[in-house]
Amino acid sequence: MPFNYLENLAHYIPELIICFTMIGCILYESAYENDDDDRGILYLIAILGLGVAGIFAYQKILQENTFILGNALVIDSLSSVSKILMILGTAGAIYLSKISKDIYQDLKGEFVIMSSGVLVGGCLLASANNMLILYLGIETLSILSYVMASFKKTDDRSSEAGLKYVLYGGVSAAVMLFGMSHIYGVLGTINFQEMAIALSGIAKSYPNDQLTVLIPAFILFIAGIGYKISSVPFHMWTPDVYEGSPMPVTAFFSIVPKIAGITILLRVSTLFFAESNILSMTWFGILSSMAIATITVGNIAAIGQRSVKRMLAYSSISHAGMMMLGVVVLNTVGMRSILFYAVTYIFMTLVAFYILSIINDEYNNDHFERFSGLIYKKPLMAILMAVTMFSLAGIPPLSGFVAKFHILNAVVKDGYYTLAVIAGLNSVISLYYYLKIVRLMVFKPYEGSESILGFGVINQTLVTILFVPVVLLGVFWAGTMSKLGLASILLK
Amino acid sequence: MQAHSNLLNWILWMPMIGAIVTLLIPSKMEKGIRWWSLVNTFITFILTLVLYSKFDTTVPGMQEAFNIKIPWISQFHINYTLGIDGISLPMIILTGLLFFLCIMSSWTITKQIKAYFALFLFLQCSVFGVFLSLDFFLFYVFWEVMLIPMFFLIGIWGGENKEYAAVKFFLYTFFGSILMLIGMVALYYASGQGAESFDILALSGGNFRELTITLFGTEFAFNKLLFIFLFIGFAIKVPVFPFHTWLPHAHVQAPTAISVILAGVLLKMGTYGFLRIAYPIFPEASKYFSYSIAVLGIINVIYGAFCAMAQNDVKKLVAYSSVSHMGFVMLGLAAMTVQGMNGAVLQMFNHGTSTAMMFLLIGILYERSHHRWIVRPDGTKGFGGLYTQLPKFSIIFIIAMFASMGLPGLSGFISEALIFLGIYERFTTITALGLIGLLIGAAYLLWMYKRMFFGEVIEECKSYTDVNAREIAYMTPLCIAVIVFGIYPSPILNMMRASVGKLVSLLATF
Repeated sequence: MPFNYLENLAHYIPELIICFTMIGCILYESAYENDDDDRGILYLIAILGLGVAGIFAYQKILQENTFILGNALVIDSLSSVSKILMILGTAGAIYLSKISKDIYQDLKGEFVIMSSGVLVGGCLLASANNMLILYLGIETLSILSYVMASFKKTDDRSSEAGLKYVLYGGVSAAVMLFGMSHIYGVLGTINFQEMAIALSGIAKSYPNDQLTVLIPAFILFIAGIGYKISSVPFHMWTPDVYEGSPMPVTAFFSIVPKIAGITILLRVSTLFFAESNILSMTWFGILSSMAIATITVGNIAAIGQRSVKRMLAYSSISHAGMMMLGVVVLNTVGMRSILFYAVTYIFMTLVAFYILSIINDEYNNDHFERFSGLIYKKPLMAILMAVTMFSLAGIPPLSGFVAKFHILNAVVKDGYYTLAVIAGLNSVISLYYYLKIVRLMVFKPYEGSESILGFGVINQTLVTILFVPVVLLGVFWAGTMSKLGLASILLK
Repeated sequence: MQAHSNLLNWILWMPMIGAIVTLLIPSKMEKGIRWWSLVNTFITFILTLVLYSKFDTTVPGMQEAFNIKIPWISQFHINYTLGIDGISLPMIILTGLLFFLCIMSSWTITKQIKAYFALFLFLQCSVFGVFLSLDFFLFYVFWEVMLIPMFFLIGIWGGENKEYAAVKFFLYTFFGSILMLIGMVALYYASGQGAESFDILALSGGNFRELTITLFGTEFAFNKLLFIFLFIGFAIKVPVFPFHTWLPHAHVQAPTAISVILAGVLLKMGTYGFLRIAYPIFPEASKYFSYSIAVLGIINVIYGAFCAMAQNDVKKLVAYSSVSHMGFVMLGLAAMTVQGMNGAVLQMFNHGTSTAMMFLLIGILYERSHHRWIVRPDGTKGFGGLYTQLPKFSIIFIIAMFASMGLPGLSGFISEALIFLGIYERFTTITALGLIGLLIGAAYLLWMYKRMFFGEVIEECKSYTDVNAREIAYMTPLCIAVIVFGIYPSPILNMMRASVGKLVSLLATF
């Protein structure tokens, strides 16, 4: 569809708004002199901007696919849904950064700016329709993330986290670029649609030389995406980075890059490997073993952790694995299951991180013991945390269960019983470490008599609001699900 | 009788209403909370009796008059379906009765009363949900939800090692239900293109004979593999050997009322699962595995009895005796004959009453002694000569003990006799072994009684007071139940006859 330049931009409003929000924040922040102020207006600008961007993205959910800027970007239901999810996650993290003491007062403005920047990268990645934009998206997403990881300048672990992130990110991006260059060499195009046509032509004749190049090239390609969603074996950076980063950054990392990565993985798999041939079989073979390894390794590693944040980091690895499992079953059922999983995952993660962050601010560490006896101090928060933990483990009738149920549903439908059994048994393992928190909160007496200051009325209300979907989507999921189902149908 | 009765809805949600109201009562009004819970469970119990009075014993299968079907998630053909037949009705009545009595026995709870009673009523709601739902998805939801209140009830109000017990219980059951979940989803897709459903009745009848399933690269027959999945899920709950290891911990650590509910109702959910789901859906596989089930059942009976004999903690002894008695239920289920199955359902009910009595009595004793050792770890006697000190208590204990031993004239005898009658037709050796199990059962119970109630009165037992009016009040209905149903079991047998007959004839066609 040949659009003129301005018409193109008309379809690109959410990203533009986010960009302007970012610029607005930069201007406001640089005009600002007093570092100790609470920057109410800055946050107002940011949240309003994200909100408006979200509304514009929402309008695109059920519309036909639109290719803009010379077919470089596609605005379709998948990208719009994932943009909304990322915007939600970012908004959550931004508010968390406002209340968290983990971010230095003079850097709070920076957090807002950089997270909006990462969000732009995530949106770019979600609507990428050629290899170049994909790479640009990943890099935009990453480079600002490196800075965010080392936000606590004076803290060794935070600097370590940033450095580690840079090294891993740089290497995996290089590996991915190397793979992409080979793919381009064989197919002669970087546009996804043209690539898909070329691929199906090549895959018909087997064996041929082109395939022997393409298969390793795609394996290299997946390294880059796998790194973003921290899937095994590209997950090594995750725990250290998550632990070193300040709390809001960790919450942000466990939402936005993951969703962006899953989206692009879904898009690439749908476009390139829809037909059943040797290439797609290899691709899904690799994906399914990666998914299973991701779930299992994430869960097993989470058991032994002492820090709740690190435990959540590992558990987020295993949740990413569950979402990848949905990619393996490439059909409408699988797709809407992933989207639904992502929706519930965001809310559960935000609730968990809000409560954890407030407790972390109180005690200056996030060991499991800090949760002891929370039910006697803040009954409401303890109950919400407990229910969220149950939801993360997948106990009905909570949204985490429904999400897991749908993934299993999609997997079983296509007859991958082995995957289903392994994934299912993994949620038993996950229940063990989630129960650890519940156990401490409810069964243990509390230490110290002082109340936790962070749980003011406003924060408690906010956590409760974030918590509502965790329960609501567990019982009344038909509406959301059918909307996501429509979105997935439109993708094809 | 109108076509649509909301009675089942009321029974299911009445405890939930109770729980919500309990939460609204200020926590200082302890009396109010207790009385409200009592009134609430009493109303529920009355409702179950109303259900019984309206129940038509001649109809096999689900009673149309009570069915409730509301679409829940139409996209997945998930419905909120409730129904009742002769197999679930005894369980419903048992649940209503035991929860009511347990509230009375929980009068002595002093720690966080509000949370306790709210969770307890919530538990009752989920238990009713399991027994009433006819949609597999709904069944699964209730089956799992039940774990949450149980976890807290054991973990907060339990004994010294409560956390370990609570976590073990939770993880173990969750493991079983995950396999059940996968089986459930697989069934959903196997149930027909375009007409997929979770409806238990629609799935029943043994339609899945030709399908195969690939797991870990090996091909299995669909119905057999899925039967094993469901079997593990239910067997953990029963608990069938070798999945029983959570039970002694959970029982010993749980507070009295929770032990009663656990042994009296929750274990029955496992066997109920066989009767409602595993058997009707996979009759062929059930038949195929019936010998294995019988073998596991007999291991339960004998192993449980020997374990019980070795215990020094009287509550652990009763816990293992539950393992042994649930083995009889498994034997009855394995028999797949009319007598065997009737015996199994009757045993589910009778064990519910007799074991509830045992646990309640041990709870009463514990409130006086604060220990449960028959023989303390240092070798001295924990109890002795209770008979002379607590005569009323001892009489009730004798009734409970003989009922659970299966003495003729008391309820346990009828059901065990029926089970043996049923299984004799099919597995003679196992019948003989089962009788030995009965003998060991008599041995450990009598031996326990001798050690605790006869002999010299030890010093600390002299200060114990006999049962008070409240305790008598909640023991009496159970005493009446074990005696009446020991002499005249027809009310229960009539209730279930038609439904069990239907199931047996389904099984007989394979």
